[in-house]
Amino acid sequence: MFLHYLKYEILSSLRVKDLIFWLILFPIILGTLFKIAFGHLYEKFETFSAIPVAVVDEAPELDSEFVLKMEIFPTRDIIDSVSEGDQPFLKVTYTDRKQADELLKKGKVTGIISMEGKLSLTVHDSGIEETLLQNFVDRFNSSITVVTEAITSNPNAEAEIIQAISTEIKAVTDIPLTKGNTDYYTEYFYNLIAMVAMYGSLTGLNITIRNQGNLSKLGARKCCSPAPKSISLLASLIGSFIVQSICMLICVSFLRFVLRIDFGSRLPAVYLAAVCGGILGVSFGFCIGSIGALKTEIKTSICFAVSMFFCFCSGLMIGNMKIIIEEKAPWFNKINPAAVVTDSLYYLNVDKDYSRFQTKMITIAVLSAAMILLGFGLTRRKKYASL
Amino acid sequence: MQVFNAFLKVMKRRMTSALIYVIVFLAISFSFANSKSQEKVFKSTKLNVAVLDEDNTPESKALTDFIGTKHNLKQIEKDENIIKDALYWGITVDYVMEIRQGFSQKLEAKEYDDLFGNYHVHDGFSDALMEQLLNEYITAVGTYQASGMTTSDAMKHTADALSVESSVELADKNSEQQNSDFTEEFSAYFRYMPYILLSVLISVLCPVLLAMSRKNIRYRTNCSSFKTSAYTFQIFLGSMIFVIGIWLIFMIAGTIMNGGIFRGKTWLAVLNSFIFSILSAAIAVLIAEFHPSDTAINLATQVIGLGMSFLCGIFVPHIYLSSGVLKAARFMPAYWYVKANNMIAGIDTFSSKEVAVCFLIQSAFLLAVALLAALVHRTNYSASAQLNK
Repeated sequence: MFLHYLKYEILSSLRVKDLIFWLILFPIILGTLFKIAFGHLYEKFETFSAIPVAVVDEAPELDSEFVLKMEIFPTRDIIDSVSEGDQPFLKVTYTDRKQADELLKKGKVTGIISMEGKLSLTVHDSGIEETLLQNFVDRFNSSITVVTEAITSNPNAEAEIIQAISTEIKAVTDIPLTKGNTDYYTEYFYNLIAMVAMYGSLTGLNITIRNQGNLSKLGARKCCSPAPKSISLLASLIGSFIVQSICMLICVSFLRFVLRIDFGSRLPAVYLAAVCGGILGVSFGFCIGSIGALKTEIKTSICFAVSMFFCFCSGLMIGNMKIIIEEKAPWFNKINPAAVVTDSLYYLNVDKDYSRFQTKMITIAVLSAAMILLGFGLTRRKKYASL
Repeated sequence: MQVFNAFLKVMKRRMTSALIYVIVFLAISFSFANSKSQEKVFKSTKLNVAVLDEDNTPESKALTDFIGTKHNLKQIEKDENIIKDALYWGITVDYVMEIRQGFSQKLEAKEYDDLFGNYHVHDGFSDALMEQLLNEYITAVGTYQASGMTTSDAMKHTADALSVESSVELADKNSEQQNSDFTEEFSAYFRYMPYILLSVLISVLCPVLLAMSRKNIRYRTNCSSFKTSAYTFQIFLGSMIFVIGIWLIFMIAGTIMNGGIFRGKTWLAVLNSFIFSILSAAIAVLIAEFHPSDTAINLATQVIGLGMSFLCGIFVPHIYLSSGVLKAARFMPAYWYVKANNMIAGIDTFSSKEVAVCFLIQSAFLLAVALLAALVHRTNYSASAQLNK
């Protein structure tokens, strides 16, 4: 009997068009749009690359002091040295002032470094790239000050001083913290998976609709049938878990293999996290559906509204919302089902071990179990006549 | 006005979802409207830097103080996971560095390599900026030391020498185009409008038009003495009142956000949004002509609304979109809407001729969609007439 129920539960779930739309089609559409919009942002705008700059080298009236200093600091050589090599700092275009202004206006260069008398910088915006250029100009100008002061204080040590300023040093060494994908726009795709998991609440809600006599004809027939309610409900619940898991697998596979989203090196665990998230979503819908004798539309609206609220708080619409909440109310992130799912995927990507991931999986299991028990508790001994 | 009244009655039932869209959009717009200001002078970027001082000597403290004059110093617990999460998001801190134990001794011994550790997550600009600053600082200290100064004196001199910042000239990219009437910040309100217009108009107008053209209602109307032209006119009137009503709500809200009646070039943005509103309504009519189910309407709303928003520069500005995406977006009306909006705001070079071209292209889309809707309607009508024969 159980298997009979299970089979028809799965078949009837697959025939609900709304579920197919929200759980399969919608994530595919949204995922594709996310990929188009955010796919190249990290590499193009967040990762350091040579800053395009126009250098104006006209020097109509160089002051004598500057010319003297230029012998120690051959500006053009310095600029050339930082625009060569494997990781160049500048991408230089030598040009005249008029052309440089034009390049800046069109956004082809971030700034203009001009050597008209002394080094100066022109930019059209304030930002980190502009600050890097300002630092470069400052570095050049302050080096002149440093050398002048040092030589003044001890003229005999001029050779050592010039050698010290010209020696290239590497004072900073990197301490790498992760080997995972550090593109934080991937968080949008984690949130997409969390959204599909939370939309599993609609699948969960269908369980109660199909079992509650006042919500559907099928429910009315089931209420009258001699089959034990516990078996019927359990079959519905497991059937929904299976359908939801299939949707989660399709979603992750589409993101990973069609859109080529990098989830790190632990893909099986990503599937596991997504499936568990889906089960949590179904349990949530089952719990909401079991509350009182509310109409289907109201229960559906509650499921949608609460799911979207959870997804909003975990960063589906505004990427860093979860971090903002972490500062104000960290406890909420620990129990928000969508945030728990996105966190588990994030930890899989960036962590070296599984300890934080395991904590999140335990949270998902506990939340799911609590919601299923609550759902069973609320539907227990509820007869058709009592609805 | 029986048809008109019936139209409004059906629409009333669908207004809740429209109002949710409108209210959420306006609430978000109002919350963002107050936080913007026009930039007039260059301001160097100050990073949030956390320094983990393992050396804990006067020299390491002097360095920390120096970093504090250039950037914002933040505290962070020395826990790998906490540092990793903080750097991954880059909200609380941009850079976490460690002053290694033995820093002062190495400095004294004139050994300048590997003095600091950089907790590394992103290959970003923050890392480049800080590495540049730290190398510059140590080089300057080394230069002063080469002149015979003690380490502490060298550090004092270095801090003084590096405190001088070159003045940076801020060129106004579009000085001729930028206007105070329609600022770049305020233009964002108009930029996001197409998404809401498409979502509201498709999700509300479509089901209402479908309800009005349901077979049994349509047949009853057809066999009545009511003229077809009068029927069409009343449906058209109802739709126009709804479209203009929604558009007016946005314009009134925009006026409040603007702090008074629109001026100058803002009226061009108003005209732009009006053309797009009518175009969105025409798209809704076209969809309704295919008699879709509720699920299909949902799908159409999401695909058209989100699709145009992501591809045409509504959610992600044109500058961030790849050239391939922008080329494809030219075949969608929202691209021309955003292009006109950008020119009016001075984000792109303003040209009245090009703005007019954008308006004309949107109008051409409107005409094409309307003709297509009429064609589909005529085909459906002929098909059903054939069946009834």
